Amino acid sequence: MDRLLPLIQNETLKIWKKKRFYVVVLVLIVLIPVFTYAQLKIAETNRKNFKDWRNQLVQQINEYQNMLSSERIPEEWKRNRRIAVQQLQYYLDHDVNPNSPDGVTFTRSFMANAVNLFYPLLVLAVASDLVSGERSAGTIKMLLTRPVRRWKILFSKLIALTLYVSLTVVVSAILCYLISGAVFGYGGWGMPVFTGFVINGSTVESTYVHAVPQWLYVLMEGGLIWVSSMTVAILALMVSVLVRSTAASIVTMMAAVIAGTILSTMSSSWESAKYVFAVNLQLTDYLAGSPPPIQGMTLSFSLIILAIWSAIGLIVSFGVFTKQDIMN
Amino acid sequence: MSRTSSSALWRSIAFSALASTLLLAGGFGYAVKDMLYPSAEAYTGAPVKSVLPEHKELSRAKEINVTAIGDSLTKGTGDATGDGYVKQLVSLLKEKYPAIPVKLNNNLAVNGIRADQLAQRLSTDKGYRYALRQSNLIVFTIGGNDLFQIANGRAAGEATGDISLETVKKGLNQGIDRLDNVFRLLYEINPNAHIVYTGLYNPFYNITDLRDGSLQVQKWNEEAYSLLHQYPNMMMVPSFDLFERSIGSYLSNDHFHPNHEGYAQIAERIAQSLD
Amino acid sequence: MQSAAQSDVVLSVKDVKKRIGGKMIIKNVSFDVRSGEIFGFLGPNGSGKTTTIRMLVNLIKPTSGDILICGSNVQRDPEEALRHIGCIVENPEVYSYMTGWENLEHFARMQRGIGQDRIAEVVDIVGMQHRIHDKVRTYSLGMRQRLGIAQALLGRPKLLILDEPTNGLDPKGIKELREFVRMLADQGMSLFISSHLLSEIQLMCDRVAIISHGEVLAVGAVDELVNQTGSYVVWQFDDPEAGRRLLAAEQGIRFVKEDEHRIDESILAGLKEAVITSMDADRITALVEKAVHAGIGVASVQRIAPTLEELFLQLTEGESIG
Repeated sequence: MDRLLPLIQNETLKIWKKKRFYVVVLVLIVLIPVFTYAQLKIAETNRKNFKDWRNQLVQQINEYQNMLSSERIPEEWKRNRRIAVQQLQYYLDHDVNPNSPDGVTFTRSFMANAVNLFYPLLVLAVASDLVSGERSAGTIKMLLTRPVRRWKILFSKLIALTLYVSLTVVVSAILCYLISGAVFGYGGWGMPVFTGFVINGSTVESTYVHAVPQWLYVLMEGGLIWVSSMTVAILALMVSVLVRSTAASIVTMMAAVIAGTILSTMSSSWESAKYVFAVNLQLTDYLAGSPPPIQGMTLSFSLIILAIWSAIGLIVSFGVFTKQDIMN
Repeated sequence: MSRTSSSALWRSIAFSALASTLLLAGGFGYAVKDMLYPSAEAYTGAPVKSVLPEHKELSRAKEINVTAIGDSLTKGTGDATGDGYVKQLVSLLKEKYPAIPVKLNNNLAVNGIRADQLAQRLSTDKGYRYALRQSNLIVFTIGGNDLFQIANGRAAGEATGDISLETVKKGLNQGIDRLDNVFRLLYEINPNAHIVYTGLYNPFYNITDLRDGSLQVQKWNEEAYSLLHQYPNMMMVPSFDLFERSIGSYLSNDHFHPNHEGYAQIAERIAQSLD
Repeated sequence: MQSAAQSDVVLSVKDVKKRIGGKMIIKNVSFDVRSGEIFGFLGPNGSGKTTTIRMLVNLIKPTSGDILICGSNVQRDPEEALRHIGCIVENPEVYSYMTGWENLEHFARMQRGIGQDRIAEVVDIVGMQHRIHDKVRTYSLGMRQRLGIAQALLGRPKLLILDEPTNGLDPKGIKELREFVRMLADQGMSLFISSHLLSEIQLMCDRVAIISHGEVLAVGAVDELVNQTGSYVVWQFDDPEAGRRLLAAEQGIRFVKEDEHRIDESILAGLKEAVITSMDADRITALVEKAVHAGIGVASVQRIAPTLEELFLQLTEGESIG
């Protein structure tokens, strides 16, 4: 370990000096105000149209129900709406506002919406050129001719990557809270959020539903996002080992992630899509009790799939990196 | 010099990243535990507290808050503009009481709903009850689906073909019982609001075989009136006459729901009836 | 366990072969580099030079054969073996988004026991004190080269491997590099220098291995190899015909035809009607005397050493370079 620490320090400093993390923070600083503004507009409209959130929620439930009675709407969609209605109803019945306008709630919903596409992209900004960048710059020749075994070098890169994934998740939450809080106020820490909805077909079982304070909910979200982001990071590392050019490595991973997002929205008819890693990234959905992209998927299932993909990613990365000939 | 800055940087990154990692790992662990081994502790939040509006004439109210409930007629089905009678009523009220702010709180009508389903909601749905308690003017329509649907179990608008007078008759008594339930619940929820019920009409008046259905509709309206009459804050607005001679100009293409004009007439009547 | 002779060997390459994509790129490479010598590795582009160097520093794994650095096998024990070498493979590519100093710190951290004072020391050796805290992307190629060497020197290596070190340098830079290399050798370091330029090896190296088509053709002292090829002796007589007759009468003198030799044209340009021979240089004095006795005036006699190109041609038996 004493030999690994300086290596991790090297990789961490390189990512920092390459200003990769600046990019992540910059993207967040630009995007969060945009979403905050959009949310503000929505809140304003709601304030104009509804006396309070309960009226709004009642109306929303009513609209969903009316859509459900239409025969032109696909069954899959109806199922999701039915589940949403039951959950909103639960909130209403317990007099808890699911979308109260405050900094913490904004952070919670921002993170939940960002898990399947936005966080992976941020992770890719850091992960995609970890190895391919060294190869295209030629610095890998310096790196690998030092008296250090190759697995240690890749391992230190992996650890550095992990550190930055953690930082990305935490910094995004902090920025979200600070920026949106300036508009919506910095409250909402203790607000109850319901979790534990069990979805059975199109009905929601509320036996296990319980309230957690919102700060804890955000923390749990963060943990789940971290796990799905780490899967993306590990796979990006693998691609970066396999592909020589950074651009190709980014494109490959982006294509995979975006394809996964699209699959999640339309894969009800193709059940095996649930084994694709990108379809399993939305771990926060299980927390919120949203219906999974494909019926029958559960938290344990998704975690196992992500773990398998990560394991494959690690085996391939280390296997190739330690054996591969550096030809140029 | 370089040493201090670069190792200070490393130390701060490492420290904050490590702290973040531990925090997130903790969050993940808790989330997994919480989801796989949920502790079912029922949450009984703060009770919904709502203050009933003052009981007085609309013309002297500080503001008019309208809540609409009921079936497709209240929803506005058939009106190409989507306004229905509810939105048109709100506009008319704004004209009638220029000094009082008029607001449509909620239109909670559901297509195809029957009186028993509405009663069910009124008795269990806290959201419904909350919305109703907020308002001082409640408008609603119900019964059409009961009357025309009970026999064949299909939505009223689609039942044109196989409707028979016999089934309509059968539906009547059962429907009236349910209607009574709705009235009772509404009064219980908000005794202070002005509650306006719009009576039924016979959409098949111009179909000779079904013309007699008007008798059943009239009977329904009569029964409804006698039930509603007991409640001091309720009144009924008739609509059957609108859809007899002038049925062609007030009915929409589905031959069941009113069109924009038809709804305008209903809105007009309700506005007129309010003090 | 090692014999006295072997302990003197810093780098030992034994029967190394490399197959890439079914093709034998390196067919058979063996040589030793002794401590304190400057070892040249000569071959045209595409001869397998770079592949061999990459195998020396563990960037490419040989298909068979062994590479030992100070007795440690590069494949089996890279951490021990690579400790003894510093290298620049092809261009000195360092992290352009960091300063020179940060780069050195980076590589220093990859080895045990290299502190700030050692970094300052190597910066001093390559003479980069003034620019070391600037970002590398502002450096010229020459400065990157120096930074690369500084990096290679960090771990006090026993062997320094430089791949085509003069590439891209101006004549002044090349001269400085030569002096620098000599200075390092004088301090007891071994150097392994690859080049496709013959003159460079002649100017810099003590011993050389010549590689072509993935095979080492010859290994030896640069001087010996040159002598092995035999020197030319170029005669200029007052009467070339008479002179030629005189030499022809002697045993062991071979005339070299116009198209047989590879002597630089610029040298011959000044020697009109020169008679080029291949012979033992010790006999020149006696032959000059003989000519004078016979009344044939000798305007000049010159010994001309063969170039490495010639040596190369001889070794490959006339195969063209490349």
